[in-house]
Amino acid sequence: MMRRFLPVVLLVAAGSLAAAEFTPLDRIEAQRLLSADKHRQPTVVTLWSSDCGYCKANLKLLSSLTRNNRKLRVITVAAEPENAHLWPMLSRYGLAGPHYAYGSDSPEAISYAIDPNWGGELPRTFLFDGAGRKERISGVLTAPAIEKATGLRF
Amino acid sequence: MNGNKLAVVLLRVIFAVKQSLPQGGVLLPAVVLALVVQGAQAADAVPTMRPAKAARPELGSSAVFAPDGTLLAVAKQGEHVMVYRSSDEGRSWSPPAVVNAQPEAISADGENRPKIAFAADGALLVSWTHPFPKPNTGSIRFARATDGQTFSPVQTVHRDSAEITHRFESLLVMPDNRVILAWIDKRDLEAAKANKAPWRGAGIYAAVSTDGGRSFQPEHKLADHSCECCRVTSAIDADGAPLFMWRHVFEPNERDHALARLKPDGTVESVQRATFDRWKVDGCPHHGPSLVVDERGVRHAVWFNQKDGAGRVFYGRLAAGSGISVEGQRQVGGPRAAHADMAVAPGKLAIAWKEFDGERTQLRGLISADGGDNFSEIALAATDGASDQARVIRRQDQLFVFWRTEKEGFRLFPLP
Repeated sequence: MMRRFLPVVLLVAAGSLAAAEFTPLDRIEAQRLLSADKHRQPTVVTLWSSDCGYCKANLKLLSSLTRNNRKLRVITVAAEPENAHLWPMLSRYGLAGPHYAYGSDSPEAISYAIDPNWGGELPRTFLFDGAGRKERISGVLTAPAIEKATGLRF
Repeated sequence: MNGNKLAVVLLRVIFAVKQSLPQGGVLLPAVVLALVVQGAQAADAVPTMRPAKAARPELGSSAVFAPDGTLLAVAKQGEHVMVYRSSDEGRSWSPPAVVNAQPEAISADGENRPKIAFAADGALLVSWTHPFPKPNTGSIRFARATDGQTFSPVQTVHRDSAEITHRFESLLVMPDNRVILAWIDKRDLEAAKANKAPWRGAGIYAAVSTDGGRSFQPEHKLADHSCECCRVTSAIDADGAPLFMWRHVFEPNERDHALARLKPDGTVESVQRATFDRWKVDGCPHHGPSLVVDERGVRHAVWFNQKDGAGRVFYGRLAAGSGISVEGQRQVGGPRAAHADMAVAPGKLAIAWKEFDGERTQLRGLISADGGDNFSEIALAATDGASDQARVIRRQDQLFVFWRTEKEGFRLFPLP
């Protein structure tokens, strides 16, 4: 009952209640999510937002790569609080998740925990090879760049 | 919120819930009640207060001093733009006045905020972006209060009514009672997309009023290929020409800044590249510039760019000529400095920005008494929670920093 009801509440209350699609991100979870030693398989953490057109290109590419190689794990982080725009924009890419959105923690504290050297530009992507290596890329990704950083072949 | 408006909101909520929930269900009355209670709390709250479980408020605000020295702030509260007044430099605030009698969605987060200014004829002017339901679309809205209190019906400043991007407006008032708004506009991008043609970035359009904002002439284009979602800034040049500055996308994908000089009728005289940091990225910096012209006619700007691989806030003077050259470019603040703003008063130039230190967001300032050759840095404030961008504002010969934070509300810091 509650699950069926939630999107309606979200629509009406413009995100004043949390929906189930996104896990709220705080600074502690952000730091854990971006630690290379926490990723034991090739993983891409991709930051996006509803006003970032270039982010759609990355989500589309990552979506197709996960279909080509099931070893790739894609974690999405919306760099904005959960709102009614987010899930309709993200769900079309069929990414398994997990999916995060900025929670009630200070947005600047969350961004700092993600990457102290990040200036807020989007898309911003962190690529882990699962063996301790981590790369950062701002802007639109290419398949060869993802192959190089994750060690996977697509 | 008065009783009538509350009733309208209540009816809208009931209608929306009924539309969205065909099977009704026992939860309906409880949800409506909860929403009404929440709405009432939000509407009654002063900016420093926040209902315990409400969504994060959108903090985007602007401030200006009235000719009589009163401080005015503009911010959104639900579906209304509100004007707050303080006669004691921000220590206490009057109950807010509603700008838009008819409720509507309002953008007031990140690079978005309502703007406030006084026209040359003394009228109070407010502008904002009204987002449409489709993401990243909206219209530029404008209201004028001739007596400084009672606002005329809200007008959309552009004739184009397509459900596309008209967002991130900049409001410029001229001494001859012209009012010019320029904004990011995607009509040419949409046309290119319809023809399956490639298009770089968005565009900048402007609308001119010659009667202090009572009416606007049809809008016209200032430039193609602006960046898509960074705030736009404006100033008046040494000879009185209107200036607008924005983040641009220079070929192939260098997100430096452009400066447009306008003719008296508001059409473009020139558009020149204004910064040369060559940040190549297919992405959204979410970081627009600020521009001022001092009493000697020198243009000063602050902006954010990635240069040599590091994202930094920069200050520089934009020397006029056949091409703009940047003089005295220097870094502002540390590696986490963000969203700088600037203002000038006779003999004074001030920059303010925020900078996260690992624990808290610091508000810091740079003051120059020699036209930007030398600066002294000062710490102004800090906050634990979310915060708006800082605004530097002027009252006669004195400069202040206005900063809205989630925990502390509106605050004003006089600069030395």
